[in-house]
Amino acid sequence: MALPLALSSGSLATELLIYAMAAMACNLLLGYTGLMSFGQGIFFGLGSYASGLLLLHLKVSMALALLGATGIGALAAVFVGWFAIRQRGVYFVMLTLAFAQMFYFLAYSMPDITGGDNGLLDIARPNVQFFGQEMFNTGSPWRYYAFVGVVFLAVFVVMQCVAESKFGRTLLSIRDNEARASAVGYNVKSFKLLAFVISGAVTGLAGGLHAMLTGIAPLSSIEYHVSETILLMTIIGGTGNLFASVIGAAAYVVTADWLASVWPRWMLLLGLLLIAVTLYMQKGLWGVLERAALALRSRRAAAPAAAVEAGQGEQA
Amino acid sequence: MSQIQSYQGALLQARGVTKRYGAFTAVDSVDLNVMPGTIHSVIGPNGAGKTSLFHTLTGTVPITAGSIRFEDREVGHLPGHQRVQCGLARSFQVTSLFQSLSVRENLRVAAQGRAPRAALFGWRAPREGDAATAMAESLLGRFRLESVALRAAALLSHGQQRRLEVAMALAARPKIVFLDEPTSGMGVDDIQEMKQLIFSLKQDGFAVVLIEHNMDIVMGISDTITVMQLGRVLVEGTPNAIRSDDRVRKAYLGNMITGGMN
Repeated sequence: MALPLALSSGSLATELLIYAMAAMACNLLLGYTGLMSFGQGIFFGLGSYASGLLLLHLKVSMALALLGATGIGALAAVFVGWFAIRQRGVYFVMLTLAFAQMFYFLAYSMPDITGGDNGLLDIARPNVQFFGQEMFNTGSPWRYYAFVGVVFLAVFVVMQCVAESKFGRTLLSIRDNEARASAVGYNVKSFKLLAFVISGAVTGLAGGLHAMLTGIAPLSSIEYHVSETILLMTIIGGTGNLFASVIGAAAYVVTADWLASVWPRWMLLLGLLLIAVTLYMQKGLWGVLERAALALRSRRAAAPAAAVEAGQGEQA
Repeated sequence: MSQIQSYQGALLQARGVTKRYGAFTAVDSVDLNVMPGTIHSVIGPNGAGKTSLFHTLTGTVPITAGSIRFEDREVGHLPGHQRVQCGLARSFQVTSLFQSLSVRENLRVAAQGRAPRAALFGWRAPREGDAATAMAESLLGRFRLESVALRAAALLSHGQQRRLEVAMALAARPKIVFLDEPTSGMGVDDIQEMKQLIFSLKQDGFAVVLIEHNMDIVMGISDTITVMQLGRVLVEGTPNAIRSDDRVRKAYLGNMITGGMN
């Protein structure tokens, strides 16, 4: 929420929050369930298209557009998850990758609906309404940021509840040891599928918000590259908890924005960052912050002790 | 006829249980009857099919042929996770824990497995008064794990891990518990403690099916012993009958089963 102080562009701040939601959703799979999904872009792209189509053709309200994006994300996750969770490890990854490609070409080959190469253009951002009464104008970038900020907070709280719940903690046990989770009585597949659906819904919502941010739903929003970006943010942030994903998304979005203005080949540097994370900071940026905080605390704990000693010395 | 009658009260009746892996038959039409409140040991040389039999009885792997009746209900076709809700639970020969979770959480998750739907649609954090939490607390005490309750399972000593392994099998309040070499890799003192623990399970009314190589335990606390060889049942009987059986002695190639007494 302190972003307005740090960032000069409202759109950039909004984009950050949107990707933070997508990264959290990815983290629920990667960090909590042990599923590395390369298919998050499917849900993001479908969410973009859904809200774009609803706004363009039906001129629906903000709430309905977002509901549509969330719903289509969840629905696609049921479909993709149904097949993908039948396999584990590398095969699961390959299946999500295959679905990502499939949905991309599906979008590409249906220009009447998706606009094909051009995508959907001129998506108007509706104001927030309540029973026809205008509640909040989302016209300016910072006003839209405020709206997305509220959505983000709600999503964060809900996801945090999911992570802490009996369901979320069972996911952790499945991540640790699938065979044992099954042996103590859990139908592992249904837990994975539900995690997938929650993840898909949140990612779809993020996609819908993104379409309204940029006013377009381009073909690139369902590209494999989006899946990769979301996964990168999640890994860079760290998979230990959900807030790490927010940090990861922030680091990615801000760094990418800054590097892009410095050097057109900035993706190369991002590659180096990823290599550094995988080699030296496997808990991601969150792990680094954690260590820094720990070091700071121990130094602070040492400081009063030193002061006390000094005091004793004076008394003596 | 009298044989069949004596199996009337059996808690678990396995008939013709067969498990094939390709051309290899690991378990070959095994019959097994486990009476309620007894300790039933399954012994045999390495590769006799003991663990494969456990896998099929508990549903860890699907059965190739045969039937498994538990409390007059056919469970042979049920996946393993559903058999837990019927009242079957197992521990593993190779320790299989939730390594990064705390000991208490390992037990709570295992206890919650009795009511998995409450976890699948459980959107609240587990609380103090929950049945699963209470079960975890009582098992911590019984298995002397209170002092390490908050430690990650991966950081426990081997003996503690083996105790947790068995405790997790009991967490789902089973009627019958399958213990696959609970003492594997344990030191002498720990083995005696585990023997007492297993015996106390019988006193609490559990039926225990036990794979064990330690003959002191097998002969000391079993009510019935089934000896397996090459995937089949060689002999079944009381510890005394097994001890003096020629075929068993031959199967074990020596006198390890008699402890050198004969």
